[in-house]
Amino acid sequence: MSELYASAPIAIRGDLDAAHERAWDRIGRPGTWWDGGQRVAIAAETRHASSCALCRRRKEALSSAAIEGTHDSLGALPESVIEVVHRVRNDPGRLSERWFRSVIVAGFSEEQYVETLSIVAHVVAIDTMARGLGLDALPLPAPKPGPPSHYRPAGAKPGGAWVPWLEPADLTEQEAGIYPAGRPAANIMKAMSLVPDEVKSFFDIVSHQYQGPLEMRDFSREYRAISHAQIELLAARVSALNQCLY
Amino acid sequence: MLLRASGLTQNRALDLNSVTGAVRDDGGVPHGRLLVEFAEAVLGEDEEALARARAALRPAIGPAGLTDAAAVVGLFNAIDRVADATGITLEAEKAEASTDFRAALGLDRFDVSARG
Repeated sequence: MSELYASAPIAIRGDLDAAHERAWDRIGRPGTWWDGGQRVAIAAETRHASSCALCRRRKEALSSAAIEGTHDSLGALPESVIEVVHRVRNDPGRLSERWFRSVIVAGFSEEQYVETLSIVAHVVAIDTMARGLGLDALPLPAPKPGPPSHYRPAGAKPGGAWVPWLEPADLTEQEAGIYPAGRPAANIMKAMSLVPDEVKSFFDIVSHQYQGPLEMRDFSREYRAISHAQIELLAARVSALNQCLY
Repeated sequence: MLLRASGLTQNRALDLNSVTGAVRDDGGVPHGRLLVEFAEAVLGEDEEALARARAALRPAIGPAGLTDAAAVVGLFNAIDRVADATGITLEAEKAEASTDFRAALGLDRFDVSARG
């Protein structure tokens, strides 16, 4: 029984509470390219980024590249990682492939980029929900010891994203189950597949904060306390506010 | 695309302009205006506006509905970042099915491939 939200002034569904507890636990554990301490540091930087003065000036500028400076950071991560965390957190609607190529430099790989992005996404999903409900942000997990696995899927290759991805036909036994059965894999899932564990982890949250891949298209019944139409209106409005076509 | 699909399956006429904030009524979705105002407030920085939006929405959809609404806003605030930071485009099937309303609502200006 999860108790992450046991003292919350509003009831949180048990499956959602448990999904967040699993997500928080995974953030503290060694990942694929970052260890537990680095993963928690990325999560902490994600939160800290919201108060970055450089990001605020850049967001207000016509061209973010025209504004030079240093991010207000916690100082626990390399500059390239801080740049990725802050830009993804604060100005995602203007990210470009040119910017992506510029941050993939020696010492910061495409695999680390995907894992970093995934951690930012986990924190944004959970923290934004808490903000909506007027809850305090959850305390970050304590990092657990151990090295990252450095597992790179052999079948990953250039596809429809800036980073290599896995087509369903290229999955091996080790990546089995990262895509839903009975439906084509969506690009949003393939986009994170260079680090298969992050697909599993993030889409565990997706299934509980939103709906699973079958439920979202099953209009014959409702799976949440709000209807499909209400859910999709919220989703579409948020994406428009974020200037995200996908 | 799923918003329109949900309307079609329920024989409900939805005003997709709600997505861009261009209309300030329910757009054919029960409590649509309150939901849109809640989403806008969660992503905004005005704490009082958020408190007002939350207080208005809660009695309309109930506490469980409010939790689900906040969960969806949170999730899409994250998933948009994954899409934008990996440069993915719409799947061919989704692109074809949404051509008309993307054009009508001016959403194609957000296409990642158009960014410098």
